[in-house]
Amino acid sequence: MHVRREVIHIHLPRRSTSKCDMVGMVIERDSVGEEGDDVVTPGEFLGEATEFIAGKGAYVSPNGRSVRACLTGRRKVTAAPPGSHDNRSTIEIVGHKAHGAVPQPGSIVIARVTKVMARNASADIMCVDSKAVKEKFSGIIRQQDVRATEIDKVDMYQSFRPGDIVRALVLSLGDARAYYLSTAKNELGVVSAQSISGGTMVPISWTEMQCPLTGQIEQRKVAKVD
Amino acid sequence: MDVDTGNMTQTNLVDKVVVPGDVVLDLTKMENQTIKLGSGLHQDCDYISVMQAGKLRLSKPNKYWVESSQKRYVPRLEDTVLGIVVEHRSDNFLVDIKAPNLAFLPVLAFEGGTRRNIPKFETGTLIYARVVKANGIMNPELSCTDASGKAAEFGQLKNGYMFETSTGLARMLLSSPTCPVLEALGKKISFETAVGLNGRVWVNASSPDDVILVSNAIMRSEFLSGTQQRIMAEKLLERLQKS
Repeated sequence: MHVRREVIHIHLPRRSTSKCDMVGMVIERDSVGEEGDDVVTPGEFLGEATEFIAGKGAYVSPNGRSVRACLTGRRKVTAAPPGSHDNRSTIEIVGHKAHGAVPQPGSIVIARVTKVMARNASADIMCVDSKAVKEKFSGIIRQQDVRATEIDKVDMYQSFRPGDIVRALVLSLGDARAYYLSTAKNELGVVSAQSISGGTMVPISWTEMQCPLTGQIEQRKVAKVD
Repeated sequence: MDVDTGNMTQTNLVDKVVVPGDVVLDLTKMENQTIKLGSGLHQDCDYISVMQAGKLRLSKPNKYWVESSQKRYVPRLEDTVLGIVVEHRSDNFLVDIKAPNLAFLPVLAFEGGTRRNIPKFETGTLIYARVVKANGIMNPELSCTDASGKAAEFGQLKNGYMFETSTGLARMLLSSPTCPVLEALGKKISFETAVGLNGRVWVNASSPDDVILVSNAIMRSEFLSGTQQRIMAEKLLERLQKS
């Protein structure tokens, strides 16, 4: 167990008409340099940059000499893979609960449609790659991304309704307001929907779903679920 | 056999006032029949129940609907309405038609409409238009052409006077044969009207006296029978020495 003594210099100009004097402050810290059960907080010193590589949740401090944490969690040291030219271990922070899933381009998301308009539909993203999200993400399905064929004849009202659960693909990070989603594949589209009468509908084809209570057929862009 | 009202194969609530919750038809007692439901009725598994207060009507053999009258308008396809322009966006006008949402009127939805001759409607312009898209979710869409693309009296209404009524009175004014009050007034005064099913009526005549007379006569005629409307109109005309 080795103890690190940390010296931080803080330069304060002293009020004097002549040259600026330096006043230094020394802060002493004990930090345990191995895996422990103690929690580290952002900014806390983890190790020397000469001995460790900064992994997930850690970063190299601006002076290039120390590796510090940028998340709250427990530290974890992984030995360097054999045969790599750099034999420093990797330090990363695990067990932090801040990150839920975040949609990335190419991931399949489950979203609930909130608003249907003439040229696009808004949806709230609920799951990313079968992991629930912890904060709200908005997505937009544009008219040209609803299906792959005849994209200029798409009627948004016959594809989605507010409240439908859809499986979609994230096309891009979109603009500041919403991700761009697409349902232009056979296995993408409405997965679950309620009819006007309130019953959960059963898919009949890739464009129609039927209500079990009244027998009414409603139009949707239905996902082909195996 | 059920003797309850409304649970028979032929309902006896026709032409009576019904309120939401009343059961009109029991489908388990009717075999192999096609029934057409109009506004105000809803299928609840095996029962047809009323959704809106009003009078139940039947058009033989099998069309049922509820006639009601409100001050608020719910947009329906192919209704003709009077709208007031609220805003001009790049590709459509935003028009208020007394509906829950503002309606969109595309700038090209006029006879011979191209990008070069977009009409210049200011805020407050009165428009006579037709509803071409109305579902409960999106903003309704209007058009100032008929189905074949001709102008057909749609467009801006200039001069005249516009007042608001209930939807029931608007439907009565548009019924055929001609509504008695309009017929009685038309015998002595020349005027033109445009009636919007959203509860707006526009009246235009050569002099302001005539416009006021016609508007007042229409507003008073909502709850009068045919004969009463004729008597009321004639009294008004006498008072202004038009007969």
